[in-house]
Amino acid sequence: MSTHAKTISLTINGTRVEASVPPRQHLGDFLRERELLTGTHLGCEHGVCGACTILIDGEPARSCITFAVACDGRSVTTVEGLDDDPVAAELREAFSAEHGLQCGFCTPGMLVAARDVVLRRPDADNPAIRTAMSGNLCRCTGYVGIVNAIRRVIDARNTNAG
Amino acid sequence: MGEVSTAGSGVGARVRRKEDDRLLRGRGRFVGDIALVGMKELAFVRSPVAHATITGIEIPEEHRGTVFTWADLAAGGVKPIRAVSGLPGFKVSEQPALADGKVRFVGEPVAVCVAATRAEAEDIAASVFVDYAELPVNSDMLEAVTPGAPKVHDHWPDNVFLETNVGGTIAEIAATAPVKVSRTIRTARQCMVPLEGKGVVAHWDRHVEQLVLTTSTQMPHIVRAGLSECLDLDQGLIRVVAPDVGGGFGWKGLLQPEEIVAAWIAMRLDRPVRWTEDRREHLVAAANAREHHYEITAYADARGRLLGIEADAWVDAGAYSVYPFSACLEAAQVGSILPGPYDFAHYRCRTFSVCTNKPPIVPYRGVARTGVCFAMEQMIDAVADAVGREPWQVRLENLVPPEKMPFDNVTKKHFDSGDYPESVRRAVAAIELDGWRARQKAGEADGRLIGVGFATYCEQSAHGTAVYHGWGIPMVPGHEQAQARITPDGGLELRVGVQSHGQSMETTFAQVAHEVLGIPLEKIKLVHGDTGLTPYSTGTWGSRSMVMAGGAVATACRTLAERLRRIGAHLMQAGPEAVVLEEGSVKAGAAAVTIREIAHTWYRAPQLLPADVDRGGLEVTAGYKPGSDHGTFSYATHAVAVAVDPEIGQVEILDYVVVEDAGTMVNPMVVDGQIYGGVAQGVGTALYERMPYDAEGQPLASTFADYLIPGFTEVPHVRIIHMLTPSPYTEFGVKGIGEGGAIAPPAAICNAINDALKPLGVTVTNAPMTPEVILCAIAETRGAA
Repeated sequence: MSTHAKTISLTINGTRVEASVPPRQHLGDFLRERELLTGTHLGCEHGVCGACTILIDGEPARSCITFAVACDGRSVTTVEGLDDDPVAAELREAFSAEHGLQCGFCTPGMLVAARDVVLRRPDADNPAIRTAMSGNLCRCTGYVGIVNAIRRVIDARNTNAG
Repeated sequence: MGEVSTAGSGVGARVRRKEDDRLLRGRGRFVGDIALVGMKELAFVRSPVAHATITGIEIPEEHRGTVFTWADLAAGGVKPIRAVSGLPGFKVSEQPALADGKVRFVGEPVAVCVAATRAEAEDIAASVFVDYAELPVNSDMLEAVTPGAPKVHDHWPDNVFLETNVGGTIAEIAATAPVKVSRTIRTARQCMVPLEGKGVVAHWDRHVEQLVLTTSTQMPHIVRAGLSECLDLDQGLIRVVAPDVGGGFGWKGLLQPEEIVAAWIAMRLDRPVRWTEDRREHLVAAANAREHHYEITAYADARGRLLGIEADAWVDAGAYSVYPFSACLEAAQVGSILPGPYDFAHYRCRTFSVCTNKPPIVPYRGVARTGVCFAMEQMIDAVADAVGREPWQVRLENLVPPEKMPFDNVTKKHFDSGDYPESVRRAVAAIELDGWRARQKAGEADGRLIGVGFATYCEQSAHGTAVYHGWGIPMVPGHEQAQARITPDGGLELRVGVQSHGQSMETTFAQVAHEVLGIPLEKIKLVHGDTGLTPYSTGTWGSRSMVMAGGAVATACRTLAERLRRIGAHLMQAGPEAVVLEEGSVKAGAAAVTIREIAHTWYRAPQLLPADVDRGGLEVTAGYKPGSDHGTFSYATHAVAVAVDPEIGQVEILDYVVVEDAGTMVNPMVVDGQIYGGVAQGVGTALYERMPYDAEGQPLASTFADYLIPGFTEVPHVRIIHMLTPSPYTEFGVKGIGEGGAIAPPAAICNAINDALKPLGVTVTNAPMTPEVILCAIAETRGAA
């Protein structure tokens, strides 16, 4: 296989980054090992568990099944880039209040996915939240706290909007 | 319980977790996040076959010096893992950290490769050629104990680590009992699947001259002890650190071969090295939990009152005995806990820990209890069916009643407190059984069948010294210790040897300390999971941390409180008997001196201290054991309503209620979280999770696409009802609760499915109860009819 590094240019959490990456390196490894953005966690590396979910051009994506070289010219946002994001802030507050995390390993991916649900599905009832979140696995919480946290944020936003 | 209140932030308060902020911002520090200068990565060559002699290992010329085998480790003085049990008849296995001439399960490490990146290390691993002469395989425990079965360990007479026999003859009961029901019951082999796999970073710290092993573990002190034995290195030369750990559930409660290898390589190369278990490695090489088989008979009178239980039980313990729990803990535990929460007089149980060509078994959340509860609770329902009563009524008939507490059961387990029958009554009410019975009678428009199931258990937690001494394994819990230290600015540092990996101890131990000292939670810091910084502990397992380490924290803080009172009294020129410690201050009438001021006095203004001040100062190490060496018994009744589709075999959970008693709850939110999470894992055990093996011992699942763990849409929105019976033996009356949620779901769901299938005359007895299992059971019954 070709291991010749390719140069890519992308935006990570708002900062322009130029990097030489091996073609086989996935985005998760690139973010973690080269950019030291270790908030993106790798739970399966075959695109099922969702722990590595990040945003590419604002859309949730699995960084473990995305090649870094494929991100040339793209904008990538990791959990570290959501510190000042208002929806993420509401979710962090709600996850803490509702005990939506225990060991915290799946949490960054959960937050990225949950943020998408909050923005995209303001009408979601609890079964709809569960369906929308079903691409992310958690082994600790039994999901109740996570569903309640998302519910809380959606309800608060709807109340404020109303 | 005057000390306990639900207000404020002490014991009983539902306060938010101190851990949350860093984890919610992606700023936790898991082992895979750690990079050291010059660090190399490891990849393992693992056996692709279940049983073989290694006849050759060819390492390409260009990779000599970066690939190591057991020959290298043995030449360096590394010894195999030996996890013995003192129980009579236990056969000892020796597990070399890399295979020594023979492989005994698929995934067993054979060689280790070192490179700058994991990808390059895996490239090297792919270039190593291992010649295997395959041997006949034991892929099923019942076949492994038949005469002529291939031997996993050549020098053993058979494939049984240990046989145990509990109880006496019950022939008289068997001959005369009005009711006799028998079942064959089985649970599947599972993977525990913490979302973070195992991982380790090892390096030699030249300054302190110590091997430092940062590892994803539940028990750093035990890993240090095991490393010391295998590496022949003094424990003082080893420091084991657990950073943030992404779930454990038991899988991180052992000494790993990979830890030994990483430690040895780091010393050999004098370079930091890292290994991170990937998901395929976990699913293949660590399919190591549960897998019980029961032949069980219950004897009862015509009302369903149990007269006796008789069982043979087999546990597939895999190829080696793991350190520290050994290969026999699970099966031997079956013998001692099969009677569950019930009061009956006659009992006989024979157990076998069977050695097979599968990964070594490690105790998974609930250990043997999930299997035992699955077996026993099916028998209660079978008895109820035989005598024509509601299963909950038969439970009430047999559960230990509150007036008999504390109670010593048929295997001499000492139940501390509680009202077991009341948990059943509340579960019947909460699930609204009458409504489901009416709906059953009416029938469903979509043809599905409704069923309701119950399961009751009690769980020994915070095990004491005697029981583990009895096992004779490498680890016996004694007094648990904690250090409490007032900082010079009036804060508090707590140091405990247990390890928190989702259990919220940074918060809950702070609540315990706050309860005693009144120091605000934000000024209390927990240091845990580091042999260099904390007192010795056997670690986090067996639902023990809150009882044991929480008790030690309370004990240490009480000693601190007394010292604070004495210094505070002196500063106010009051007698020690005239002051109280309240809300973080020592008070004498209207006068008060804060802990901060007392701390300043001890550290920065010692000239003001009384002449007879305790020279131990504001730092205490205290040991703790509960008042009973039998630990605590939490208990619960789970009730579940399901709809079973007899055409496609699919089960939908319609409602799920847990009525549980964990004694006094330090943080009800955290207790709820443990129960929700446990139930989710129990749902996985009941309906989804199974590592299938073919006859050659090949695992047939290696991704999350074929090993299914429950997701958002598979787990119900569980309802929890608390009962609060304090344990008479522990600080604040707390009981261990970490495992309980995972114990009852397979039993409750099985009973519900069988309740649903009753009109078809169908019974399922094996977990997981997949659509295939249910459809086969229906087809068999139809075929037989």
